[in-house]
Amino acid sequence: MSGFLWGALPYIAFTVLIVGTAYRYWTGERGWTTKSSEFLAKDSLKVAGPMFHLGLLMAFGGHVIGILVPKSLTDGVGISEHLYHIIALAGGIPAGLLFFGGFFLLMQRRFGNPRMKVNTSTMDVWLYLVLFLTLVTGFGGTLMNAVGLLGDFNYREAISPWFRSVLAMSPDVELMADVPLIFKAHMVMWMITAIIFPLTRLVHCLSFPFEYFLRNKIVYRRK
Amino acid sequence: MKIKAQVSMVMNLDKCIGCHTCSITCKNVWTNRAGAEYMYFNNVETKPGIGYPKNWEDQERWKGGWQVEDGELTLRSGSKLTRMLKLFYHPEQPELDDYYEPWTYDYETLISSPRKKHQPVARPRSLITQQRMEIKWGPNWGDDLAGGDDARADVNLKKIGQEIALEFSDIFMKYLPRNCNHCLNPACVAACPSGAIYKREEDGVVLVSQETCRGWRHCVPACPYKKVYYNWKTNKAEKCTFCYPRLENGLPSVCTDTCVGRVRYMGILLYDMDAVCDAAKIPDEKMIYANMLDLVKDPNDPAVIESARKSGVSEMVLKSAQESPVYQIIKRWKLALPLHPEYRTLPMVWYIPPLSPIAKNFEDRVYLPKSEAMRIPVEYLAALFTAGNTRIIVETLQRLLDMRAVMRQKEIGETLPQNLEFEPLEYERMYRLLGIAKYADRVKLPAGLQGKTHEELRELQGSTGYACPGGCC
Repeated sequence: MSGFLWGALPYIAFTVLIVGTAYRYWTGERGWTTKSSEFLAKDSLKVAGPMFHLGLLMAFGGHVIGILVPKSLTDGVGISEHLYHIIALAGGIPAGLLFFGGFFLLMQRRFGNPRMKVNTSTMDVWLYLVLFLTLVTGFGGTLMNAVGLLGDFNYREAISPWFRSVLAMSPDVELMADVPLIFKAHMVMWMITAIIFPLTRLVHCLSFPFEYFLRNKIVYRRK
Repeated sequence: MKIKAQVSMVMNLDKCIGCHTCSITCKNVWTNRAGAEYMYFNNVETKPGIGYPKNWEDQERWKGGWQVEDGELTLRSGSKLTRMLKLFYHPEQPELDDYYEPWTYDYETLISSPRKKHQPVARPRSLITQQRMEIKWGPNWGDDLAGGDDARADVNLKKIGQEIALEFSDIFMKYLPRNCNHCLNPACVAACPSGAIYKREEDGVVLVSQETCRGWRHCVPACPYKKVYYNWKTNKAEKCTFCYPRLENGLPSVCTDTCVGRVRYMGILLYDMDAVCDAAKIPDEKMIYANMLDLVKDPNDPAVIESARKSGVSEMVLKSAQESPVYQIIKRWKLALPLHPEYRTLPMVWYIPPLSPIAKNFEDRVYLPKSEAMRIPVEYLAALFTAGNTRIIVETLQRLLDMRAVMRQKEIGETLPQNLEFEPLEYERMYRLLGIAKYADRVKLPAGLQGKTHEELRELQGSTGYACPGGCC
């Protein structure tokens, strides 16, 4: 089981994420949209929308740094383990609070305003459940770990190297053996998120308009 | 000089009776679908009035169109970078209630109701929430209500200040049919982060690619005319297409085709693409109209024809540019004006300002008064069509009055007015185009992008899908 979870599932998740998203792009671009609901309920989005997205982007950035920068590198430049965790929590806790607060407000908006029903598909409801569980396990695990509830567990010596081993195509399943249950759940949750990603509205995050900064103001096209 | 062709429209407001036939036929063709029910690619507004969506002309609020900053044209809605910060919440975005909540009626109850003392009633039901609703606002809510609260809220009235009292004896109104202006300098195109909105090179029609659109909605506030709509169901932007499938077959848009009052004209304008940007960024907004006239080039000028050929304008398009009724009206007679040129988008739907009702006061007992004495104040028309330049309005109305005077001279022998701008024969041509307004004279469009003549296209009617079963050819 652990072989499957930590040795195979990540690759299944990444494959579905990439191939599925590409397939959706090529066959269903017509349905590729931010699925914005500001038109239906504007005031309630004012705080919640930017709050949620800022928290999410901060959290995502923190994960990228935390996973990809190995411990040896931060040790090498003289950042102690204690200092590292203080920095990580200084960024992570505000990110988590924004993310959580934004998520809560958005859910209140989505299920409290009858107009929002036309913008909420069944898949959206599943997505919110998966996102919520991912968020709870990640933020909860981090907080528990920070106050010492998870013993002397250090994710930089277990989860991060495992993830890098997955990226290096030689998954070291053993590294995940002693990881606390809540972080294991967090791992499974992100993989589920990746698997359902191509089927959900999440795809809009790939549409950040970088090309807009390069193009002319007026676009002309031939028939 | 780089000459391009633009399909353009003129609306003769002197004859618009506000019947909404254009809106209805447009709606039946384009927007009678879920998510688009609230969209009016074409609507008719009573002016003064707040229009559709509510107060669309209030650019302090919507930040639509362009402005000139340090000699450069910039979108009022902000630079590319500042607008990226609005991706998650856009303060200038209109919402459903700025338009109206679409509804239907419970028609079922009319036939399924059991025997009762009172007649069954089909009550309204929201098409968004599917719940019962009370109708408090809808499209054309202020229709024909000159002097009502909505009319008083018209931003154009505020612009011209105290001079216009909305006393009952001075009340005036007119109709303003509006569709997408297919601008030469479209703000919606420039605002689209995804590059989904584009201007067609062949005919200047502005279209939204339903594939490429990502629903960022920056086009909606950026369009100062609020003629790009967000489909709440497909979550993509939609707008008036100028009925391009019809254009491609040499037919005018549905609103033009069905106009009961023969108000609409469609044809080709040739314009200088290289001069568009400079024309739009002149600091004095009262000069934009003159610049727009300069952009429109004479289709019989050999240099223009040569340049047009060089940039790929086909012979058929050139020929219809030479017959173009809109060129006559806009450039030769200078009868039509752009709506709100101060937005700097260089709109390509033009309006002949209305004369009627002709006398301001019943006591005046004059049949053809001075244009300044019209019931609709010149200042108000100037706020709509010339960025406040009343001189242009007076001159334009005077040409229309001269036309009437020349025709009265011809029909009942009144004396010909002095200082006519054109030869009497020219006014008779004007009368034929504006007064008689035969369909074939109002609409001169090339058979289209397919490179076939009208006759060849007519032969093809009904053949598609049958000529070659299986679609092998």
